[in-house]
Amino acid sequence: MMDPSGDVRPHYAALARRVASLSDEDLAERQRLLERFFLLQGITFTVYGAESSTERIIPTDLLPRIIPAAEWATIEAGLVQRLRALNMFLADIYSDQKILVDGVVPRELVLGAPSYRREMQNLFVPHQAYANVCGSDLIRKPDGGFAVLEDNLRVPSGVSYMLANREAAKRTFPGSFRMAGVRRIEQYPDLLLSTLRSMAADWRPNPQVVVLTPGVYNSAYFEHAYLARLMGVPLVEGRDLVTHDNMVYMRTTTGLRRVDVIYRRVDDDFIDPLTFRRDSSLGVAGLFNAYRGGNVVICNAPGTGVADDKAVYAYVPEIISYYLGEDAILPNIETFLCREPSQLSHVLANLDKLVVKAVGASGGYGMLVGPHASQAERERFAEALKADPDNYIAQPTIQLSTAPCLIDGAVDPRHVDLRPFILSGDKIRVTPGALTRVALKKGSLVVNSSQGGGSKDTWVLGEADAGESAP
Amino acid sequence: MMLARVADSLYWIGRYVERAEHMCRLADVLLNATLDRTESSGQVARMVISAAVSEGEATGDITPWDAALAMTMDSEDGDSVTAALARARENARQVRDQLTTETWERLNLIYLRVTGASANREFTDAPSQFLHDIIADLHLFKGAADATMSHGEGWGFLQLGVFIERAQLTGRLLQAGFGRSLGRPLTEHAAMTALLRMSCALEPYLRKHTADIQPRLIRQFLMFDEDFPRSLRFATARIEEHLSGVGRNVDLGGAAGPERLAGRLKARLLYADAETLTGEDSDVLVATVLEECARLHAGIYDTFVAYSLEMRLPA
Repeated sequence: MMDPSGDVRPHYAALARRVASLSDEDLAERQRLLERFFLLQGITFTVYGAESSTERIIPTDLLPRIIPAAEWATIEAGLVQRLRALNMFLADIYSDQKILVDGVVPRELVLGAPSYRREMQNLFVPHQAYANVCGSDLIRKPDGGFAVLEDNLRVPSGVSYMLANREAAKRTFPGSFRMAGVRRIEQYPDLLLSTLRSMAADWRPNPQVVVLTPGVYNSAYFEHAYLARLMGVPLVEGRDLVTHDNMVYMRTTTGLRRVDVIYRRVDDDFIDPLTFRRDSSLGVAGLFNAYRGGNVVICNAPGTGVADDKAVYAYVPEIISYYLGEDAILPNIETFLCREPSQLSHVLANLDKLVVKAVGASGGYGMLVGPHASQAERERFAEALKADPDNYIAQPTIQLSTAPCLIDGAVDPRHVDLRPFILSGDKIRVTPGALTRVALKKGSLVVNSSQGGGSKDTWVLGEADAGESAP
Repeated sequence: MMLARVADSLYWIGRYVERAEHMCRLADVLLNATLDRTESSGQVARMVISAAVSEGEATGDITPWDAALAMTMDSEDGDSVTAALARARENARQVRDQLTTETWERLNLIYLRVTGASANREFTDAPSQFLHDIIADLHLFKGAADATMSHGEGWGFLQLGVFIERAQLTGRLLQAGFGRSLGRPLTEHAAMTALLRMSCALEPYLRKHTADIQPRLIRQFLMFDEDFPRSLRFATARIEEHLSGVGRNVDLGGAAGPERLAGRLKARLLYADAETLTGEDSDVLVATVLEECARLHAGIYDTFVAYSLEMRLPA
């Protein structure tokens, strides 16, 4: 919000004036309205206790984060470039594996990754669009530019919070919102639906799209229902689907009805007990064979996780230049692969300065934040590193940028990251908006909602004279 | 086109919402009628408890207050107001994508109110107000559903749940008030008006029969009135109507579906000799209605939800 000299940056000026004009009570009242809006909508997650369970809302911050048009243009170009390259990478490693033959990415790194699915080998994927929905985590570097911290190509979540935060922000700051010329994000469900439809076979003129959810106990259930409702397609669970003669059907009141595209929010491991984990009851027996037969499309494709693997991540700039012959527009964070002996010794020597992450883990689990850890914790982690170096990567501790948040009635900076959502089907589409995740604990760098993180609305501004505000 | 699981959930939302509203009225009438210690208050208490408690459950010497508290706040008993609302809302959450936001918000609001930290205190402080507010909120829910949801298949299943539950609740109330097996029939004027209140029928009854309150007329009204929305005749006619709506596209290959049951049940009440029916015949008819509703409930499940896949495989 502020520039280094302490002045308010120009794109925040209107909002800063508005906030300054409100009393503490006004701000608190708006925060209450916001929370009530989320509670009424049922935008909650359930905390299961010993005897009873309670529902809580995801903490949401009142003050929006603002991104000017020029900055967004770079982000958008970078995201499109990155997803194009990653889809080409997936198409390659699941067919001819040229990139492995040419030695650009180590063969064992890809083929040995737990998220690599040999079942996907030589399987036709329309438009080579493996990751139909991608949510990349960006952070702002100290020099002001954005960099990619992580790609999420499996079942990224959070888009419903982006949309719900926007709906709430329009109620809390209608005046500032109108004046700022914020770009629309409400078209996201429509774009998602047309992306999913574009994945269906040409000979199915009116493809039936469904959203597959693990069920009401999943922490992202609200999002699944929300997207299904806004797209106007059925929200199904595994038990609603049956396969017969390599076709997938859903059980309706009037009999079975063919399904063409499944936007699944169930992890690879659980979608088909016959192909993947046998003990899964969330999926559909026979689904993968139907997919192999070309009778149904699973979105995102199984096996996309290999491209957001934390070790493969280190090679993304090379992947981009290999397939596109371009330099990466959005840089990576410097990453040390512990599998390389020279890099491992560097990591071990600098454990107090680095963040070490397990390759397969997500959600902020299985990681060591060196500077914040105790000596004992670091020693324990060093042992784990030496025992299984392939499983770890390390990155310098990144000082996440901050954004103003309303904490206990006062405006105070908190660390944030940025998760925009990119769709790829017949073409790649970026929604001009993002989920900004906030580490609500002072000084904390962990933004995951499972560990005390919250979120806030993100305003991407239109070009001042491009007429963007009148779509 | 609608998922079988979704249809089932909508049906149960209808049932639970109707049950919650009915239990609110029962608890409210019970608390009001037993304020004074007269013969009529004893009759009311017996009637409510036999209408509210499933057969075989020990009732013992429960005080009206404890009975009302259990009927409202017991989170375990599926027939209590709180439990019914929690289940209705849980079903709604599972089919959240099929409900309009307006409808969902109303139900979610009631749920948050009855399960909130202050619910017990609110009930203890002013039970009548608390129950009255829930009923009013449930009416808002029904109004929002009526005004914002498409009156298609999903609506049909919701309404089926409402009216099957309603026919059963009215039937049980009639058994509790007039059933021979219960021994003493209702005699006290206050107890009879309480019965009408429990089915929300007092004002409509007065308009039709004036203040001439007689057991025979009450029974006739609750069973055969054409326009009163809680009469057996009205409820069974709606069941038939909605069932033929949702069953229109089901191909059962010639077998008889639940529509036949519903049509016959509707006809029984439509063509009964309402004016000359004896008390005993009425008891038999009420028992038949209850049995047929149970069969309809099972028939709907078998036909629309848990059908055998072999019968419905694509040709």
